[in-house]
Amino acid sequence: MDAVEKANTERQKRWVKDQKVGEGTYAVVYRGREASTNRKVAIKKIKVGQFKDGLDMSAIREVKYLRELKHQNVIELLDVFSSKTNLNLVLEFLDSDLEMIIKDRSLVFLPADIKSWMAMTFRGLEFCHRNWILHRDLKPNNLLIASDGQLKIADFGLARDFADPGYKMTCQVITRWYRPPELLYGCRYYSTAVDIWSVGCIFAELMLRTPYLAGESDMDQLKTIFRALGTPSEQDWPGHTKLPDYVPMGQFPKQPLRDLFTAASADTLNLLGQCLVYEPRKRISAKDALHHAYFFALPYPSQPTKLPKCAAQLTAALPLEELDGNTLTGKTNRLKRKLTSPSDDTKTRPAVARRLDFTKPTPGS
Amino acid sequence: MANRMNWLQGKTVRKNTPSASHSRSSSTPQVQSTSSTIFGGGVKDPSGRITEYSSDDDQCPVCKSDKYLEKKLRLLVSSCYHKMCESCIDRLFTLGPAPCPICNKVLRKLAFTPQTFEDLGVEKEIAIRRRVAKEFNKRLEDFSNLREFNDYLEDVEDITFNLINDVDPVGTEARIAAYREANTALTLLNTQREEAYILSLRQAEEQDRKEKEARAEELRREEEEERQEKESGRREIIERLERAEGSDAVNVVRRTKRERAEREASRKGVAPGKGAQALLRARMAAAAATAATKDTPHIPLQDDYYAYEDMFVLQSTYVDPLSEAVRKDREGIMRAGGYRVEEAWERAVRSAVAGLDLWPLESDRDAFQSSHAFDPSGDAIMSAA
Repeated sequence: MDAVEKANTERQKRWVKDQKVGEGTYAVVYRGREASTNRKVAIKKIKVGQFKDGLDMSAIREVKYLRELKHQNVIELLDVFSSKTNLNLVLEFLDSDLEMIIKDRSLVFLPADIKSWMAMTFRGLEFCHRNWILHRDLKPNNLLIASDGQLKIADFGLARDFADPGYKMTCQVITRWYRPPELLYGCRYYSTAVDIWSVGCIFAELMLRTPYLAGESDMDQLKTIFRALGTPSEQDWPGHTKLPDYVPMGQFPKQPLRDLFTAASADTLNLLGQCLVYEPRKRISAKDALHHAYFFALPYPSQPTKLPKCAAQLTAALPLEELDGNTLTGKTNRLKRKLTSPSDDTKTRPAVARRLDFTKPTPGS
Repeated sequence: MANRMNWLQGKTVRKNTPSASHSRSSSTPQVQSTSSTIFGGGVKDPSGRITEYSSDDDQCPVCKSDKYLEKKLRLLVSSCYHKMCESCIDRLFTLGPAPCPICNKVLRKLAFTPQTFEDLGVEKEIAIRRRVAKEFNKRLEDFSNLREFNDYLEDVEDITFNLINDVDPVGTEARIAAYREANTALTLLNTQREEAYILSLRQAEEQDRKEKEARAEELRREEEEERQEKESGRREIIERLERAEGSDAVNVVRRTKRERAEREASRKGVAPGKGAQALLRARMAAAAATAATKDTPHIPLQDDYYAYEDMFVLQSTYVDPLSEAVRKDREGIMRAGGYRVEEAWERAVRSAVAGLDLWPLESDRDAFQSSHAFDPSGDAIMSAA
C-alpha cells in the first residue's frame, strides 16, 4: 500500500456512514458522524463510474471551491476521501433550509428575523466574492440553516471564479426565478452582480413568503421581471439591447415596490431596490449592502439562535438540493426527499446503493 | 408700513381684504377664469391654504393699473420675481412662452405664482431654499464626524447664498449638478426616510387622537354611571321611607347613604381607568419583551479583511495584452453584463500582495526567532529557509 492510499484509508476511518438520506443524479447523501467525536456530518458520495467523461463537473467545482472557503456563513467541507471508485465529500450537517422555513406557514417572520437572514447571506456571499468566487445558484433552498440558526450558503456545484481577463462564461446558470436579466439576455461576461440579483429575489421572497419573480419559461421570466420592475430603458441599463439574446419585450411601466411591500420600511425597500437594479454595474455589491442603513436601523437583526425554526426539522433533512446537478428542475427535488431504509454502505455491496429510476419521468423535468 | 410692522411682530399679515376676496369670487369671467385653477405654487400655511399678499398700493408695473382704480387687481409673481397683473399675464403669455417685459427672460403662463410675502426677496429665498433642501438632504448620521457635517452645511449655505444673490450662477449650478451626480442614491434614501418619518408621525398622531377619544369616552361613561348611581340612591331612600322600612327615618337615610358610599368606594377602587391600566400593562409587557431580546447592533463584517487596503494602489489602467482585445472589441456587451476588466486587475494585484506580511508557517517563525534572535541581517532568513 503506497503512502497516498494509506493516507486515504486513514481519512476514511475518521468518518462513519450511518444511513442513506437521499439520492440525486450524481450523488448519494448519507448521514454520518465523526468516529472520534460523534459529531454529525453529511457524507456525499459522488458516483464516478457512471460517467464516461470522468467526474461530474459540479463535483469538481464543489470540491475546488469549498476547499478554499471557510466562513461562518458558508457550508464547510470537512474532508474528502475516496472509496473504491467513489469520491466522498464530508460536509457539515445542517438541519433545514430557508425554503422549508419560508414555506412553513406556522412560522411568523419579524422584520428583525429577515434582517438577520439577509445579513448572514450577504456576509457569506461577500466572503465568496472577496475570494473571487461567484456562487451562481443562490436560492432559498441552497441557504441551509444550522441547528444554532446560522445560515450557510451551500451547493457550489455551479460556482466559478471570476475576474479573469475576458473569458466567456456560460449564461445557463442560476435557477430561473432568481436569474438576473443579463443572463436571460445571454450575456457571457458578467460579474458579482448576478448573485446580488438572486439575493434580492430571496429578500423579496422572505417578505412575501412566496417566490417574487416566478416565470414559467426563460422568456416569461423576463416578462415577469419587467412587469414587476418596468421595462428598462437604454438609460436604465446602457447597452442591454446589444446583448446576444436580446429581444424587445414590450413596454411595461414601473410599479413602485411600495405597492407590493406595503409594510416594509423605507430602508428595506431602498436596499431591495438596489439589489434589483437593471444595470449590473449599478447594482449594490455585497460589501456595500452590508454597510447599508437597513442593517443599522432598528430593529436590530435577531440573534441567530432566536430565529424561527422549522417545526418539522426532519432528522433526515439534509443538503439534498446539492444532489441535483440540474438546477433548472426547480421544485422536483422535494420529491426525492424521502427517507429510505438504512442501507449498508459500499463495503458489503460494491454497487451504488440504489439508482434513480429513469423510466418514470419526474414531474417538471 | 403698518403691514410690515405687524409682520415683524409676528401677527398675521393682512391678506386680501374681505371685499377683495369677495370681489374675486364674483369676478368677471374673462380675466379670472384662469386665476384660481392654473396658478399653483405659493407658500402654504400649516393648514394647507395659500395666503396671498396684497396691498392697497399695488400697481402693475407693466400696465400701470393700480388697486385704487381697479379693485380686482391681483398681482402674480413670475419665476424671475417680477410682478404683473393677471390681465397682463393673460395678454402676454396666452399665446405661449414670451419674454418678461421687465427682464426679457422667457416665461410661461404657468410659471406665475401668487405672492405670499411683501418682500419678494423673501419669496425668492424660500423658493430657493426649498429647492436646495430637496437635493441637499444629508443628515448628521451620513457623516463620520460633526466637523464634516458642519462643513457640508457650510457648503450648502454657500450654494444657497450664491443662488439667492445670483453670484456665479453657472459655477453654482455646476456644483449642484456635481453633488447630484455623486449623491443620487443617498438623496433618494433620505427622501424616503423623510417620507417614512412623516408617515410615522402622522400615524402616531392618529393613535394619540384615538387614545384621547377613548379616554374621553370612558370619562363620560363614568360620569354617567355616577349620576345614575346618585339618582338611584336618592330613589332608594325615598322608596325605603315610603315603605317605612325600619322605624327611624334618620336611620334609614343614614344606612342607605352608607351603603351607597361603600358601593361607590368599591367601584372607584376597580374602575379608575380600567382601560388605562390595561394599556399600561400592555406597554410594560411590550417593554419587557424588547428588554428580553438581546439583539445586538449589526456588524457588517466580522473580520478585518479590508483593514489592509493600503498594501497596494490600483492604477487606472494597465498594459494588459490578454484583456486588451476583449476590452476594445466588446466593451458594449461587457459593460451591459456588469463585467469589469478592473476586477481582473484588482484580483491579480491582490493575489500578488496577499500574505506578504505573514510568515509561511507559524512554527517556522518561532524556530526562527529562537535561533536568530540576535541576527537582524537578511541572510538569516535565507539560511533558515
